[in-house]
Amino acid sequence: MANESVRKFYPWFTMLGIVVGCLVVGGYYKDQFREWKDFQRKFIREEVRRAITPQQRARAESTPVQVHQIILPELNRVDRCTTCHLAVDDPTYGGYPQPLAYHPLHEQHPSEKFGCTICHRGQGRATTAAAAHGNVPHWDEPMLPLMYIQASCGKCHQAADNPAAPELARGQQIFEDSGCRGCHKLGGTGGIIGPDLDKVGARRSSEWLKKHFLSPAAVSPGSGMPPQKFSEPELEAITLFMLSQTGEMVPGYYASMKVIASPDEGQRLFQQKGCIGCHSLGGKGGTVGPALDDVGLRRAPDWIVAHFKDPQVVTPGTVMPKFGFTEAEARSLTDFLMHLREQKVALSLPSLMGPVERGREVFRKYGCAGCHGPNAQGGVPNPNAKTAQQIPSLKYVADSYTKDEILKRILNGQHEITSLDASKPAPPLYMPGWRGTIKDAELDDLVAYLFSLKPKGEDLGF
Amino acid sequence: MNASPLKQLWQKFQRTRIGRSIFRVGLPDSNLERSQVMVSSFLLHLQPAKVNKHSLRASYSFGLGLITLYLFFILIGTGVLLMFYYVPSTERAYESMKDLEFVVSAGQLIRNMHRWAAHLMVLFVVLHLCRVFYTAAYKPPREFNWVLGVALMLMTLGLSFTGYLLPWDQLAYWAITVGTNISGYAPIVGPKLKFLMLGGNVVGQPALIRFYALHVMVLPAVTILMVAVHLWRVRKDGGLSRPDEPGNVVAQVELSHLPTNKTYGLMELARGTTPQVGANPEDEVFSWPHLVFREMLLFMFVVAVLLVLAIGWNAPLEQFANPIHPPNPAKAPWYFLGLQELVAHSAFWGGVGVPTLLVVTLVLLPYVDRQRRGTGRWFARERVLANTIFSICLFVAIVLTIIGSFFRGPNWSWQEPWKKPPVATESH
Repeated sequence: MANESVRKFYPWFTMLGIVVGCLVVGGYYKDQFREWKDFQRKFIREEVRRAITPQQRARAESTPVQVHQIILPELNRVDRCTTCHLAVDDPTYGGYPQPLAYHPLHEQHPSEKFGCTICHRGQGRATTAAAAHGNVPHWDEPMLPLMYIQASCGKCHQAADNPAAPELARGQQIFEDSGCRGCHKLGGTGGIIGPDLDKVGARRSSEWLKKHFLSPAAVSPGSGMPPQKFSEPELEAITLFMLSQTGEMVPGYYASMKVIASPDEGQRLFQQKGCIGCHSLGGKGGTVGPALDDVGLRRAPDWIVAHFKDPQVVTPGTVMPKFGFTEAEARSLTDFLMHLREQKVALSLPSLMGPVERGREVFRKYGCAGCHGPNAQGGVPNPNAKTAQQIPSLKYVADSYTKDEILKRILNGQHEITSLDASKPAPPLYMPGWRGTIKDAELDDLVAYLFSLKPKGEDLGF
Repeated sequence: MNASPLKQLWQKFQRTRIGRSIFRVGLPDSNLERSQVMVSSFLLHLQPAKVNKHSLRASYSFGLGLITLYLFFILIGTGVLLMFYYVPSTERAYESMKDLEFVVSAGQLIRNMHRWAAHLMVLFVVLHLCRVFYTAAYKPPREFNWVLGVALMLMTLGLSFTGYLLPWDQLAYWAITVGTNISGYAPIVGPKLKFLMLGGNVVGQPALIRFYALHVMVLPAVTILMVAVHLWRVRKDGGLSRPDEPGNVVAQVELSHLPTNKTYGLMELARGTTPQVGANPEDEVFSWPHLVFREMLLFMFVVAVLLVLAIGWNAPLEQFANPIHPPNPAKAPWYFLGLQELVAHSAFWGGVGVPTLLVVTLVLLPYVDRQRRGTGRWFARERVLANTIFSICLFVAIVLTIIGSFFRGPNWSWQEPWKKPPVATESH
């Protein structure tokens, strides 16, 4: 009978129908089960528990379970972190376990204006813990470990001048003192032997950086960089500073937050604005305005701040112009002047220094110390170099070179370093030419410094 | 015999005014109704009222063409859903992918289905081609349908290739870079062709918008049209090929020879082969339910397999496309890896010679092969030479693709997949 021909299909339709149905239901559940929903329900339960009035309770109970996101067009970010971290802005959740903990200092960096990933990194669009924290394949920006969080401060705030980021300042100090710039460019200044470091913080992890500092060739085969002898805290600080170099530019609103009042920032401004042209410090400088050595004793901080904002207001008739300092800048300058009183600031204004001192700064600024040692004593290993496999001391350049010769050497460099053993690879380190990088005025100071290195009264007889 | 409650309900609905207005024929109970149902419904009338038993044998066709068609339908469905979220901009495409994964309901599932269906469609279009070759189904009168099939295979590759770029991740970016570079090896026209495809010399926003427009508009529209012609011709050529069909040996009917004392239907005047030619009632069964139900079951099966794949395995999404940081090795989509492997040996042969030769040979095949016998049987003894040549080519293609996919490591050097690749180092 014809019906039989239809009937024989029934079991197949039933079976496949059940299979497809189960798969659709399974797919739906897999899609609907999201870990953030559990966190939100936990948060709602906590809110309900805390509710005192019936209204509060009703409001808490009717909280919808939904994705929260902070859209930051200027930063080109969408941060959904607050989908799980629901109480970042609620101080009463201080000390709660994650993800429900309050974010300290939320007032300074409100999440609705900053989001989270601009400082913490990770994957803002993700809504699973693993993906959001960046611990998944194919996401190159995992969360910055909290111990390195200060690396992010420099994105908006000027790195070394931020009193809230001492580790970052320390890292930068170590970077400059260790002569890293001798081989590496950062912010446009530095040598060409090693790679640019402008985006190193976006490319490398803290683990990689630490290993690399102690033993460059171990993580970067063929690297000629000498191993660095950093102590543990120094290593952490310079790693943090490297992590801060992401090359990311923050726009408008965020960049305007740059200056944080600090004595260091004040000193920088003092130098940049040419205050020394009219005022003197330590007997050096102009005489149009009063000496400022003891201004901190004579004036109250409020007076100095008001004076910086508009001199005429507090000293009518003064010839000092209105510089248009911002509040933060005025406070930085004031802090600097107040610190002079306490004699805590070591003054190193170039205009107050002699040529040799300035030359030492130039030596430091361009990272000469990276190869020639902090006091130009040499000794940095340069495998297979004829000069005892290390970079020679500069102490006696005054004996071997005239000023013109040494200038030529600095400007042109020495790219061919004679090998000790011709069969082995050439020495990795060489002297790059500094023409166009070190400024003319700085060159004279640098030579003065180098010539000053020869120990007094020492004559080796040649 | 008692009908099931579900069937009773259905029949009750059909007897209402609305039911009758939609379904001209109810669930068929007689052979007359079985014929009527097939011709009175738009979707069903695409099929014949009766079908040869041979065509229903799964071991003959394996349903490969139909599976390919279903995959194409599923791709259109999921593709439209994806279009609701996707923004074809280099800045936002990747973010669209992330949003699909993290916040769109079933977004990842739909993307997975689309991805797997796309890969499977490439696979099944090739399998279908192999089936048609091994059963010699491209022989007269089906020569041109074979050519259409080859064109449809190229359309499928084009669809897959253009879709490959859209996520705008590293995988997409570099696969398309490598893929378009392969086409750039063609003499004279190669570089121009590459420039035309990309709207520039490198993969960028112009390439993305071109690939997008091709992927969602041009190629699907052309493919739908070609599929329609392909299927129409299958019917006009008398359904699936089978051993006993008369082919084009049937005598052409000359109008002038027909008796004049009779009025003629259109079918009787039509020349050449028609679905009726050589039809033997003994060999045929009604399409309802024998063909239609099998087709529905196959569709359910395809959906089930796709769901398993989509639930179990996510579509890949690598890092945001980075033009200055190529992966090593950068690989084209898997179906072009055989060509890429050839390119590694000879840019000309991999980029131009072999693909051109392949397409030209496939297109000319039904006109070159004059052997008339063997149609409708797998691996017919008469075709041992043709089958051997085809098998060798197929084998080489598969081996090259496998080598390109699994045995090539950094710098396209030999790399056994079960051995750990050397740690990729970045020199300063």
